[in-house]
Amino acid sequence: MKRKFLSTLMAGALAASMLTGCASAAATDSEAAPATDDAGVEAEAGTEAEASAEAVTTEGDPNGTHMEMWSFVEAHNTFYAKMLQKWNEENPDRTIEITFTTYPYADMHQKLLMSLQGGEGAPDLCDVEMGQVPNIYEGLDTWLQPLDDAMAPYAADMLTSRLDAYKGSDGKQYGAPFHVGATVMYYNLAAMEEAGLSQADIDAVETWDDWKALGKKYLDAIGNPDGKYWTSVDTGGCDWQWIAMAEYGEDWTGGFDNKANVELPSVKKMCQFEQDMLNEGIAEVSPDGHTDLEAGYQNILDHNIVAFPKAMWYMSRFTNYMPEEAGNWYIAKCPVFEKGQNCSVGIGGTGTVVTKQSSDPELAADFLCFAKMSPEGENVIWQDLGFDVCNTSLWTDDAFAHDDSNQYNKFFRNYPYDVLASIKDQIGTVMTVSISPTINEYMCNTTLNEMFEDGMSVDDALAEAQGAIELEE
Amino acid sequence: MAEVTAMAPSREVEEKNVNKTVKNVATVVCTGFFLFLSLILVYPLFCGLIASFRPGRELIRRGLALNLDPSEISLNNYLYLFSNNADSKKYWMWFKNSMVLTLVTVFLTLIVCYFVSYGVTMYKTKLGSVIYILVIATMMVPFEILMMPLYQEMIDIKLVDTMGGVILPGLCAASTIFFFHQYMISLPKDLLDAGRIDGANEYYIAVRIMMPICKPAFSAMAILCAMGSWNNMLWPLMVFRSASKFTLTIGLNTLLTPYGNNYDVLIAGSMLAIVPIMAVFLVFQRYIIDGITTGAVKG
Amino acid sequence: MKKKGSFLYSQKAAPFVFVLPFVITFIIFWVYPLISAFVMSTQNIGAVSREFIGFKNYAKLLKDNVFHQAVANSFEYMVLTCALLIPFPMLYAVLLDGKLVKGKGIWKALMYVPALTSVVISGTLFRLMFTEYRTGQMNVLLALIGLPAFKWLKVKWTSEIALLVLCCWRWTGVNTLYFMSGLKSIDKGLYEAGSIDGANKWQMFRYITIPLLKPTTIYVLTISIYAGLSMFLESFMLWAGNDSPKNIGLTIVGYLYKRGIQKNDMGYACAVGVVLLVLAMIINFTQLIINGQFKKEEK
Repeated sequence: MKRKFLSTLMAGALAASMLTGCASAAATDSEAAPATDDAGVEAEAGTEAEASAEAVTTEGDPNGTHMEMWSFVEAHNTFYAKMLQKWNEENPDRTIEITFTTYPYADMHQKLLMSLQGGEGAPDLCDVEMGQVPNIYEGLDTWLQPLDDAMAPYAADMLTSRLDAYKGSDGKQYGAPFHVGATVMYYNLAAMEEAGLSQADIDAVETWDDWKALGKKYLDAIGNPDGKYWTSVDTGGCDWQWIAMAEYGEDWTGGFDNKANVELPSVKKMCQFEQDMLNEGIAEVSPDGHTDLEAGYQNILDHNIVAFPKAMWYMSRFTNYMPEEAGNWYIAKCPVFEKGQNCSVGIGGTGTVVTKQSSDPELAADFLCFAKMSPEGENVIWQDLGFDVCNTSLWTDDAFAHDDSNQYNKFFRNYPYDVLASIKDQIGTVMTVSISPTINEYMCNTTLNEMFEDGMSVDDALAEAQGAIELEE
Repeated sequence: MAEVTAMAPSREVEEKNVNKTVKNVATVVCTGFFLFLSLILVYPLFCGLIASFRPGRELIRRGLALNLDPSEISLNNYLYLFSNNADSKKYWMWFKNSMVLTLVTVFLTLIVCYFVSYGVTMYKTKLGSVIYILVIATMMVPFEILMMPLYQEMIDIKLVDTMGGVILPGLCAASTIFFFHQYMISLPKDLLDAGRIDGANEYYIAVRIMMPICKPAFSAMAILCAMGSWNNMLWPLMVFRSASKFTLTIGLNTLLTPYGNNYDVLIAGSMLAIVPIMAVFLVFQRYIIDGITTGAVKG
Repeated sequence: MKKKGSFLYSQKAAPFVFVLPFVITFIIFWVYPLISAFVMSTQNIGAVSREFIGFKNYAKLLKDNVFHQAVANSFEYMVLTCALLIPFPMLYAVLLDGKLVKGKGIWKALMYVPALTSVVISGTLFRLMFTEYRTGQMNVLLALIGLPAFKWLKVKWTSEIALLVLCCWRWTGVNTLYFMSGLKSIDKGLYEAGSIDGANKWQMFRYITIPLLKPTTIYVLTISIYAGLSMFLESFMLWAGNDSPKNIGLTIVGYLYKRGIQKNDMGYACAVGVVLLVLAMIINFTQLIINGQFKKEEK
């Protein structure tokens, strides 16, 4: 009877493996051979090894220094692989071979942290998402290799405010950024033109009040129909508050040494501004909390909103998820509260780090800086990943910024880099320190919802947030 | 239970006919109810299935709406998975890893858990009672509490990045032992004595006499274990380090990133991932239906 | 198979051999990490250092409003799921076990399908169905009866409904399966005897089925309490992460995950885990004692 049970188990296994076996074009012949009883498991294991051998992505020179690299975005690894090839061509005496692994987002950071704490098992190079930076930086130079020396050749051209965001509390540079993530204002110019407005109207906007007035004008022109708004405010993201802080040069984290304070005048001003727009029917609350989720894209595709501020990396969301919007959108700088203020802030991003556990930290750092900071690397970043690169020398480079074959240049009404170049000296920084995740979480979960969904007063909501955050410090 | 009523002492013919009509109506109502229930349960997956035949960005454009544009329906997502490219190679590698992991896990877990609960249930020893309480105790500790210390331990005993590291901590699954126990206490113990009188040793009785009787329990647990293992993510994710060992759930999860989701592969790949586990279910479900009737125990 | 002389084969030694695997894994993969968890809960674990801080983590928990909310959410969820996921699956199992339903195999299979689906995909599907945008299925339904779109996942009571729907969707089939398996072990002769004694169907259900299903019911109740209290993935799926508006979807394990993994405060996370452990233990042991699970051993 036990045998019978075993055989049914195997029969089930066999049936299942046949399904995959027949289906898989990549599968080899050995799989089709019927496996019997116990051999079934072995046979499976055998083919597994074969298949995995071809699917693991190890790139570069097999004779070079071997390294491990982790990321949570497949496209990033593809990018590094491309840059690795260039590196090996240019540095035949310092060739590298890298095994790339793509992990799920939260878990990669957890794994990295564990291996850094445990002192073994960490990769040579690893992508670190902005929000996770404080955790990973906690070990400073006992865990991570400072990049200051390696980036020296490129440092002069790099946007300082962006590099600062990836500095440790000891002032050393530990992470190399992909992009500035500069916030800009996206306008659905096609929809606005239908309402009788023009690009000149947008270009005339300087302050948030101008911007709101333009919104009112637009809504009046289309007859204020139900479900149509000028913009949508976020309850699941702090982008608006960040912009306001950058404008006034404030930072609610207080930097590395000071206490966090969310009751800043700039934050209050922006929250009040958003709440007013909601009350006046000019704005709605973003479906799903922000514009970077399914319902947010739908809202944009349905032209329910025609203007919203977002970082420049949002461009790739348009090309990936909203291709039918090609030619409709115009990018401009964000308005300010008072003329002459900074109008942008770097948001989000991935800082790549080199760990001290690396087989050759200097070499890894050199390669990393080459990949992410050299003009060659930046070019690939722009073409393949669509980011606003940090190497400012390229922003005004005609071949780079005005390349008409580039999908983003084609998609938008204007050249994105023209906007970026025009705000070059107006990009502020909000630090990401250990209290940042707590602030962000409390704002997105509670405070913004209270203000925009429940209509709680800005002062009360922020005071409550401040109390909760102080408890955590 | 309906047939029991039918066997009641015969009444007049008319009354019988009335009974028959009532029975027919009840059958239609009950069957209809299950049809309705099943439709509701399958509906979300049906939406997902339909979505898997459309380009991924349609999911964003229209959500799961079923008002279809026939021109968009295509096998492209699946053809992509079955063609020779980097994504599909990875996908099938995950698929096979999941398959191997699930087979080994189910096989080992069922055997070990059966014997443990057999030892606890079939012998009236103090040890058995103690073990039983311990089993219940383990069941009440959510795995998440142990996960971090356990991971440290795995590093220390060099089980990280091995299949053993994934399987061993869950080998004596308390819920499986408990289920076997609950099943076995309703079985008569005389069978053991009968076996002993016939000269069989303890292990022979456990394997040859009692195991077949527990077949429905085995079937139910095989399905559950397979399902648990097939869809398990948290722990394998911690243990496995190399991409070549990733399972389907881990792999599919790499397609969801803060920088956008690969909906095409995700939806089609997830739908395809249901197939093998469904096959296992269908195979074992039959045993539950056939049930214990063949091994009916009457002393 | 018949070396009777050997001690290992004796009736005395056999139970020890049977439970040996459990004892080994219990000590290595349960006792040890659990003790580590306790130890860690009294420490402040930084990136490079760890120091003993006594019960400060627990003192902080007492003041932590978010934690209290998580406990309340989990508790509420547990009670509601137990209320939904025991009576209904039991009823379905009895119906499916009887003769009134046609095509049982199909219904059983279909009811089980949701549980076979990986959380990655079912999460995406349900998020899209419950989205506040008008393309979500739930809002399409509202539109059909002339109501405006609703922000399902931003309001406490509707998000609770969404969670319960998701939970019932996933687990109804599984629990029905447990009950069917339990029903198979009931001797059909009892129903014949009952029928001869003139019992009606309700009486037979009440006095034969329910008492004899008790072991299964206790099992399902135990795991439901455990699963309810440690629920995490369902909420993680619906809100595409661990953050929900005003923490309406935060659970105890979600909070543990948030503290331990997202904020890397292992000591505090372990304290959360220990509190969860104590809660689950108290509730489940009370339940098991009330249901007489330990009577046998007390004799």
